[in-house]
Amino acid sequence: MATFLLEVGTEELPAGFVASAIAQWQANIPNRLSEHFLTPSAVNVYGTPRRLAVVIEGLPEQQPERVEEAKGPSVQAAFKDGQPTKAAEGFARSRGLSIEDFEIRKTDKGEFVFVKQTIPGRPTPEVLTELIPDWIFKLEGKRLMRWGDGDQRFSRPIRWLVALWDEEVLPLTLVNGAETVTSDRLSQGHRILHPDPVEIASASTYVTTLRKAFIEVDPEERRQAIATQAAAAAKRVGGVAFVNPGLLEEVVDLVEYPTAVVGQFDPEFLDVPAEVLVMEMESHQRYFPVLKAEGSRELLPYFITISNGDPAKSGIIAEGNGRVIRARLSDGRYFFDIDRKQPLESYLPKLETVTFQEALGSVRAKSDRIVSIAEHICDQLSLGAPDRANILRAALLCKADLVTQMVGEFPELQGVMGEKYARTSGEPEAVAVAIAEHYLPKGAGDALPQTRAGQVVGLADRVDTLVGIFSLGMIPTGSSDPFALRRAANAIVNIAWGASLPLNLDRLLQDVLANYATGTVQDAAALHTQLRDFFLTRIRTLLQEDQGIDYDLVNAVVGENDAEYGDRALQDVLDVRDRAHFLQSIRNNQTLETIYETVNRSTRLAKQGDLDTTALDPRSIVDPAQFEKSSEQAVYDALVKLVPETQAAQAERNYQKLMDALSQAAPAVSRFFDGEDSVLVMAENPAVRRNRLNLLGLLRNHARVLADFGAIVK
Amino acid sequence: MNFQSVIATLHQFWGDRGCLIVQPYDTEKGAGTKSPHTFLRAIGPEPWSVAYVEPCRRPGDGRYGENPNRVQHYYQYQVLIKPSPNNIQDVYLESLRSLGIQPEDHDIRFVEDNWEDAAVGAWGVGWEVWLDGMEVTQFTYFQQCGGIDCHPVSVEITYGLERLTMYLQGVNSIFDIRWNDTLTYGDVYLQAEIENSTYNFEASDPELLFTLFGLFETEASRLMAKELVLPAFDQVLKCSHTFNLLDARGVISVTERQRYILKIRSLARQVAQLYFKQREALGFPLLKSTPASLEPAEAKS
Repeated sequence: MATFLLEVGTEELPAGFVASAIAQWQANIPNRLSEHFLTPSAVNVYGTPRRLAVVIEGLPEQQPERVEEAKGPSVQAAFKDGQPTKAAEGFARSRGLSIEDFEIRKTDKGEFVFVKQTIPGRPTPEVLTELIPDWIFKLEGKRLMRWGDGDQRFSRPIRWLVALWDEEVLPLTLVNGAETVTSDRLSQGHRILHPDPVEIASASTYVTTLRKAFIEVDPEERRQAIATQAAAAAKRVGGVAFVNPGLLEEVVDLVEYPTAVVGQFDPEFLDVPAEVLVMEMESHQRYFPVLKAEGSRELLPYFITISNGDPAKSGIIAEGNGRVIRARLSDGRYFFDIDRKQPLESYLPKLETVTFQEALGSVRAKSDRIVSIAEHICDQLSLGAPDRANILRAALLCKADLVTQMVGEFPELQGVMGEKYARTSGEPEAVAVAIAEHYLPKGAGDALPQTRAGQVVGLADRVDTLVGIFSLGMIPTGSSDPFALRRAANAIVNIAWGASLPLNLDRLLQDVLANYATGTVQDAAALHTQLRDFFLTRIRTLLQEDQGIDYDLVNAVVGENDAEYGDRALQDVLDVRDRAHFLQSIRNNQTLETIYETVNRSTRLAKQGDLDTTALDPRSIVDPAQFEKSSEQAVYDALVKLVPETQAAQAERNYQKLMDALSQAAPAVSRFFDGEDSVLVMAENPAVRRNRLNLLGLLRNHARVLADFGAIVK
Repeated sequence: MNFQSVIATLHQFWGDRGCLIVQPYDTEKGAGTKSPHTFLRAIGPEPWSVAYVEPCRRPGDGRYGENPNRVQHYYQYQVLIKPSPNNIQDVYLESLRSLGIQPEDHDIRFVEDNWEDAAVGAWGVGWEVWLDGMEVTQFTYFQQCGGIDCHPVSVEITYGLERLTMYLQGVNSIFDIRWNDTLTYGDVYLQAEIENSTYNFEASDPELLFTLFGLFETEASRLMAKELVLPAFDQVLKCSHTFNLLDARGVISVTERQRYILKIRSLARQVAQLYFKQREALGFPLLKSTPASLEPAEAKS
């Protein structure tokens, strides 16, 4: 068994490409090998900014010999009067065999000629030579490039190749225009710490040889080294490194030989909000900030940079980086000081110059709409004067920070800066917090706004976006959702759920459509329907994917093309979630079974009748004079008893109460269907039949207060 | 090292390596890339190696001389070599050495940074070069220029002269850069920063600028119809600068912005295509020249 090494040496690859290429090779190389009957014992992929490498262990000298079977013509076509036909001879020739090698076998389609052929294995190095160019050039990446005068495309120019079959060089050439890169055993060490080429003696010593040349090829090793060194470095200055996982991933692929270097900045910069400092350090400089303590939000005036330089030069490197961060932080402080020279409210007029959407006007106009929608929500939630005042103020100011210099520089700080500036402008604390919170949740799984004002403004902002964009006919389709309307709708539902806000979305959408800038909304009724459908789909998805409700139970509460359930879901978004969870819980504890058969059967049969789905009381609907069997009277009595129970359950949204009542009624209905004095529901006499169908319809209606049992699958 | 010595050193370095040392182009532009020495010469098969200083105007970056790192007028040192040589990174590191920056003493990194100038239909991929965390150079392999695929590919190296000099001199403000032994960058340019920031943000006349944009645009098209490629290109540069002035003045809305960019892009594309045809008609005369070997001059003799 042999070990094979391939190293593709490049100019500095983008960090994202290194990680992606490693994953692609790790996933694809074993498959490509197995397609060629090669099963290595291990495939280890490595990468640094200047190289991608794979070490394949346990490869045989050649592919195993294998037997292939081929199907030829049917016996009828292959032999005539016992003699082989031209078709038979042709088949034999094409396989390099003779008629004697034929086997005749029966198949579903009659008797056919088969041959078995032994294919000798080819030398593995020969197979690898053929496969490797595709491994390299079929790697996918975001922006591949050409270089020199060639047409090859790769993430960055390829400068050297190492290919070793154990100790032997496997000859490979990559041609790109006038340049040819030929494989040998010479790799490159660290640019500074090991400027001379590195000779790799054998494929199996690749990792250790490069380590001696100050290259750590294993990203996992680099990740650990960085984490450990950063923690130690932070400890040296009395703090804790704040390591953002995404940044760590990137930094791992920005260095070949990591050294954590601590630098410092003037403590006076700590007056600038920590969010700004962290943004400057992380996104511009790829530094790890240093916190006072674990979990603290307070920073120490230090930073950690992961250097690729000579550890002995860390002093110079820290000094240089310190000057850079000073310049960056001066910028941040400049913006912060300039922005605070005027109150947040005074930025409002400038929002007129920021377009929200061409046909929907400026962000200033949007702010006014957010205020008006927030008012509707306050009405729905019956909020009192102090809450209401803060909410409307936050709604007005929530976008004002977009035209501050800081947010112009760091768009990610929208809301965060608004909060700070609201405070320095003397706005109430609730207003300040709501400005930051109204952007939450920023994505699936993100934190929800905690304050009432943050929730209401967040809802209003998103409702405005949804209604506005829908009114332009720009409804998301498939993967195209440029305004992230699905995310906005999900956020609306999740905010209401998270904060237990009994939101009537249906009415809110109607109110907003009615008040929407006249002229932009052509057909409010049609738009209302589109928005309803959109929200119902979101509610379904959230229930099923986030809340873990079975799909049939989701159908049972949201309804399948049943406007009544759609209405209920949108008119009370909390109730639809509660009913879904209740159904799931009774399915899980198996109490659903106690009523499932009777209710489901009643629901299905009741379709034959014409009873209105809201009727509950049998006394005005069912005529006991038409009863023929005692089981009918029993169901009638059970329904009469159910009426107050169901009404109470409905009023209290107490579905366990309803469930208990239905369980009490279930035995009577069972007898009605299958007992000794059971009846034939579809009786010949239309009056009797109608009476019986109405009994079942009533039971269905009681159950409908919870869900559409017809949609539940056993 | 004085600011003027930095420039002289880079001229010497790249001149020694076969680059043509040319002078700045005399029309306002936002980056050295827009000089015809780069933008047009990157198009087509003819080899080309050039180095020059280019003044850049970015009206929106003006800070009235109050920000130590941001100005609306500054200088780039631009190198363009076609086809891109395979040892270009090493040669670049040598150029830092010539400025007294020993790579061994520092943390020098090539960090992904792709470049795109939608307004002129150009893009490339490359890096920003970090010197102890400071971005001192932009490296770009041109992939498209004026909407035309670059073949062969040029490599462009753009040094931020002020940044680099601040680093070398250990000063924290552009205005403190020593231009020569007696005068600073601030002595030469601070007043211009203050006045031009005032002009860019407050005093410019948007009406006039809109009119000028229209005139330059019409003139560019008229000249192209006469196949006067280089004069047409000047008009495109003027369009681009006028647009930047309007943008800095905050009078272009988001949607209009896109429309203006498309106008400039369309003109730039047309110029690029005309230039290509013109060179083709001339039989690509520079094909006869030898590409830069990047061997230092002493080594050759």
